[in-house]
Amino acid sequence: MTANASVNTAKKDLHLGSKLLKIAVWVSGAIVASLFVILVAFILIKGIPNLSLDLFAWKHTTKNMSMMPAIFNTVEMVLLTLLIAVPIGVLAAVYMVEYAKKGSKIVAVVRLTTETLQGIPSIIFGLFGMLIFVYSFEWGKTMMAGVMTLVLMILPVIIRTTEEALLAVPDSYREGSFSLGAGKVRTVFRIVMPAAVPGILSGIILATGRIFGETAALVFTSGTSIGRTFTGDPTGPGCTLAVYLYILWNEGLYTEQAYAVSVVLLVLTIGINALSSYLAKKVGKKNG
Amino acid sequence: MRKAAKLVSYLCVAALAVCGLGACNNDANNDKDDDTKNPSTSTPGGDDTTGMSGEIYVISREESSGTRSAFTEILEIIDADGNDATVATAEVTNSTGVMLTTVAGNDKAIGYVSLGSLNDTVKALSVDGVEATADNIKNNTYPVSRPFVMAYKEAEASDLAKDFIAYVMSSQGQAIIAEESYIAADESAEEYTASGLSGSLSIEGSTSVGPVMEILAEAYMELNPDANITVTQDGSGTGITAAIDGGCDIAISSRALKEEEAAELTPVTIATDGIAVIVNTENSIDSLTSEQIKEIFLGNITEWDELN
Amino acid sequence: MLKLKSKEKLFKMLFCLCAFVSAAAVALICIFMFANGFPAMAENGFFKFLFGEEWRPTAGQFGILPMITGSICVTAGAIIFGVPLGLMCAIFLAGFCPKKLYKVLKPAIDLLAGIPSVVYGYFGLMAIVPIMQDIFGGNGKGILTASILLGFMILPTIISVSEASLRAVPNAYYEGSLALGATHEQSMFKTVFPAAGSGIFAGVILGIGRAIGETMAVAMVAGNSAIFPDSLTSNVRTLTTNIILEMGYATGLHRQMLIATGVVLFIFILIINLCFSMLKRKGGKAQ
Repeated sequence: MTANASVNTAKKDLHLGSKLLKIAVWVSGAIVASLFVILVAFILIKGIPNLSLDLFAWKHTTKNMSMMPAIFNTVEMVLLTLLIAVPIGVLAAVYMVEYAKKGSKIVAVVRLTTETLQGIPSIIFGLFGMLIFVYSFEWGKTMMAGVMTLVLMILPVIIRTTEEALLAVPDSYREGSFSLGAGKVRTVFRIVMPAAVPGILSGIILATGRIFGETAALVFTSGTSIGRTFTGDPTGPGCTLAVYLYILWNEGLYTEQAYAVSVVLLVLTIGINALSSYLAKKVGKKNG
Repeated sequence: MRKAAKLVSYLCVAALAVCGLGACNNDANNDKDDDTKNPSTSTPGGDDTTGMSGEIYVISREESSGTRSAFTEILEIIDADGNDATVATAEVTNSTGVMLTTVAGNDKAIGYVSLGSLNDTVKALSVDGVEATADNIKNNTYPVSRPFVMAYKEAEASDLAKDFIAYVMSSQGQAIIAEESYIAADESAEEYTASGLSGSLSIEGSTSVGPVMEILAEAYMELNPDANITVTQDGSGTGITAAIDGGCDIAISSRALKEEEAAELTPVTIATDGIAVIVNTENSIDSLTSEQIKEIFLGNITEWDELN
Repeated sequence: MLKLKSKEKLFKMLFCLCAFVSAAAVALICIFMFANGFPAMAENGFFKFLFGEEWRPTAGQFGILPMITGSICVTAGAIIFGVPLGLMCAIFLAGFCPKKLYKVLKPAIDLLAGIPSVVYGYFGLMAIVPIMQDIFGGNGKGILTASILLGFMILPTIISVSEASLRAVPNAYYEGSLALGATHEQSMFKTVFPAAGSGIFAGVILGIGRAIGETMAVAMVAGNSAIFPDSLTSNVRTLTTNIILEMGYATGLHRQMLIATGVVLFIFILIINLCFSMLKRKGGKAQ
């Protein structure tokens, strides 16, 4: 499309309305780009001077305000959430793509609810998680309550991306497998799934990114206690990096450290995004 | 044409970037300026004649927060029925950080924070001519203060819970409290000797008490390395509810317990905290009467002119 | 052979079960939210709750009409700032952006989506609020500031969904338009853009959902007074910020009323979601 564009614009440069439209789209592109630059510059300028080794000390004390336990809490939270959500999400997608008949009522219901789940704001998840896991199940504000809440939040992302990845696997794979006498389950697990792995992975990474940035849902469920060292106990409270950032800012006592934490979060987000686009590229190559 | 469009957009990027960064940097510079010319040292008396003008921007904490209820009760910012009557147009925040940042960035703002969170980006006003210092709260001349309370279920409290409270009330614990610019509850407390107890203890509640409680917990664990204390800061109400329901061992609260709460829990007052009324460092006013503060937060005084 | 068949059946059951987890989750959320919210609402009186104009928890007055108004105002503002910019940017990415620039810009926009909302909030507080203070006087917070910030925050959603649906329009549309003598710009705006209509609209609705549900960032820049806004710079409190502000200290009826606030928000979201699904279905059929 863009290649065509340059040829045509050269020819029809005289059209005034077109000129204005062109300027308008360029300007809006520029505004979005500059917004990005300003935001990142804001985080870096405020944060980098405040980065110090103290913030990465293994043991968190009120003197160093180390974010190390929060980093490990985040990792644990991500792993546990994925451990529960990925099998459920992937198998659900398998059902939707490989088993359900076209236009089946079940698929319609699942699709509608998945979309609904995706649209629910995190604060509602937070309230719900608090009501059910923290109070009804009497787990208290624990990592586990946070994990279960996050599972519900990222489930739609996993289902959706897996569905797309499965659909992208050519039917000839399945037919080949069937004609060799393999059963459906065998075909799904041995043939279709491996081919869809990069797509599924990119969905997982997308979900990871969402967990990294989540605050509203976790403040009510996994609590705001950072703890002194990372314990890894899912039945204990533990805050993730983003929640830690929220607490630091909220109290107004440790603003400098908060800026530094936001730099670390930014770097993590960039890393996650880079990984996901690398995987997406891999998928693109495979299919195209 | 294409080049022109490109040029325009690049210019836009550059201009916007400069604006944005300028804004960020301005803030940074302002912070520094505030540090250097903190007017608390010497404000020329002449300033008062020029005075402040313009609308007063009132900033309050969220309803039922410990800080707000103490503030409104003491200054009687209440209606005929005795309910909180802070003017509805006042800005509300649940964050001390936002409160401090807003007042530091707005020369017409007035708000309040816990004395322990006060820093030099803002100016604390004297109330009725009395400066907001620990000494003045101790001798009862500074009127706006509230208790910090630890509350627990007497019947179910573990030895560790009792021992930790004993530590907080000891001379070491009280010294830490004083160091964090709160007012110790017991000046002549006895020294604490390590008990060597082990186990875990969960403390939950006020975000105002939280930071100092973290420090206390840390110091306690240095003396008793086998103990594990976690402090969750999520508000007095949540902490007290959790302590009653058994969700945590000790609740921390920045307000006195209500009657129905006191029926279930045993409160221990561990410290007193002053609430400082804060304004921008550029503000020429250094002192207000409690009546004036009350009228401001009731919305009856809306212009700085009326205070000169 | 029989064993194999039962194994197949077993797995099918398992897959089906997993598929129903999300349906069960939605049902559970509905049940829990409504069961916790409605009794409190009834206790207070539905009408008094939904149309009450005063929110004074300590005085036992729980009216959330100001918050509903606030949510609507701020969301409308976010649409005004975010949607045109987002759509133009999507058209830019789909039809005008040089390949080299695209390689930089696209990941940048994805990154914008990944920045935690707390960071956006503090950015708003430190960068947008002082500018607004300079321009309009006052405290620099309120509907306008919150709208601008939210407009920024929903950009990535709108851009990526719209761009995808613009790219999904068959090339024949574009080429046909060019062949009829239209310029590149005319073809993009008058042929491709309308053809991607329902997809773009779905993206906009998704953005609206984000805006109405955003919490942390709005709480920092909206001023949060529980009043009816009387101007663009007036302080405003939304449904979401009402919950996050007071949840920590609330007990008893106050706490239940906050959960009820969540229920109202949830109903709003359900309506928006329904619109979204309906539009998507319609779009799917058209293509």
